[in-house]
Amino acid sequence: MSEVTPLNYEELRSLMVAAGLFVLGAIGFLTRRNLILLVLSAELMLHGVSLSLVTFGKIHQNHEGQAFTIFVLTVAACEAGLALSLVLALYRQTHSLDIRLWSELREFDTLSPVAADTDSPQTPPSAYDGIPLLTPAGRLPQELPKTVNADPKRPDRTPV
Amino acid sequence: MNEWLQQHPASIGGLVLWAIGLMWLMPSGKPGKSRPVLPGVVLVAAGVLSFCLSAGRGVDTLQSEVMFWTFAVTALLCAALMITSKNPVYGALWFALATLGTCGLFMLQSAPFLAAATIIVYAGAVIVTFLFVIMLAQQSGAAGYDRRAQFTIPAVLSSFVLLGLIVQQLQTSPLKVERTKIAVAEKQGSARGSVTSPPALPSPDAPVNPPPPPAIPAMLSKATADTPVGGMKGLGRSLFGDYLFAVELAGTILLVASIGAIAIAPRREEGAL
Repeated sequence: MSEVTPLNYEELRSLMVAAGLFVLGAIGFLTRRNLILLVLSAELMLHGVSLSLVTFGKIHQNHEGQAFTIFVLTVAACEAGLALSLVLALYRQTHSLDIRLWSELREFDTLSPVAADTDSPQTPPSAYDGIPLLTPAGRLPQELPKTVNADPKRPDRTPV
Repeated sequence: MNEWLQQHPASIGGLVLWAIGLMWLMPSGKPGKSRPVLPGVVLVAAGVLSFCLSAGRGVDTLQSEVMFWTFAVTALLCAALMITSKNPVYGALWFALATLGTCGLFMLQSAPFLAAATIIVYAGAVIVTFLFVIMLAQQSGAAGYDRRAQFTIPAVLSSFVLLGLIVQQLQTSPLKVERTKIAVAEKQGSARGSVTSPPALPSPDAPVNPPPPPAIPAMLSKATADTPVGGMKGLGRSLFGDYLFAVELAGTILLVASIGAIAIAPRREEGAL
């Protein structure tokens, strides 16, 4: 009913193509500097993993590989949506998609992260000078209006 | 390792050609002096071909050979062109082609539903979203960060060492798989037998005994003769049987991610892009 055999060449080459896709995605993630291409390279790595999972499911004759791939697909869709809105939020800060502008996450007032590579444009000054550079969580804090003294009969009492 | 190097020169040669082609194709940032694309494409294609050929030749039918080669070369070549494209719009389109090649390979690995779902999700939704974001955020003309890659040689070298090690393990390790033959013939025989001898009609006098419900197997994900790998029935049983709670969780993750994306994305009152 069951026998133990090594991988045949169809499964072997499918796994090899999957490893190749994964490694190409890794190279893209390491070498490119555009934020959007980084996200695309991560999706390419997920393709390689999905192909591996499907091949493993075929080898072992069960549906778990395909079920796992569906979950990978779901998480990849979530990741793409979240990553793209993050890219837009980062682009609004620097007006550039260069990953090198974000190599340091500390907040600093002088925006000069580009040292050797002059191709990257200097970022223009932000509209939010003097406040932290991360995405503001809500409205800008505004000056509270001067509160009128509540009780004119007792002028020494100031509202807390 | 040594034996593998001697027995599989095609693997090593293919990997080397592939890596050289990738380094040739990578944008190097010399203004006005971009390399021609064709030699890099030829190198990468030759490397991919000899890499895949090193898996050995079989006695498969001609159609499946042709389909495998078409899909594998499409996927790997378009992936290489995607990660080396200077224009992110072209990168997204090459990614769509690489997705099509991967879906063809899914099809060959008997996963037609996954192939269709991946095409719908990636080519239909993800690529369109990427193109919208590129149009929103891309500056006119090729930006400096698109014209120059970083860490090209270390990244390509280390990644291809990783790939070579994976392939060496796959080709030489005594990886044994226990294969269970699915008894298709047995089922056909029983079906034929049931045709020749139909069950006797219950007499109206006999007490009505409802047949016992079919026993639920312990693991629904295993392929049986009724639910072979690649069929929708078996996949659905696996998803909504063994992984029912995971499916619910996946739906929750989708909801949370869409809410999060809406919350993170910049709004108009926070300033134009």
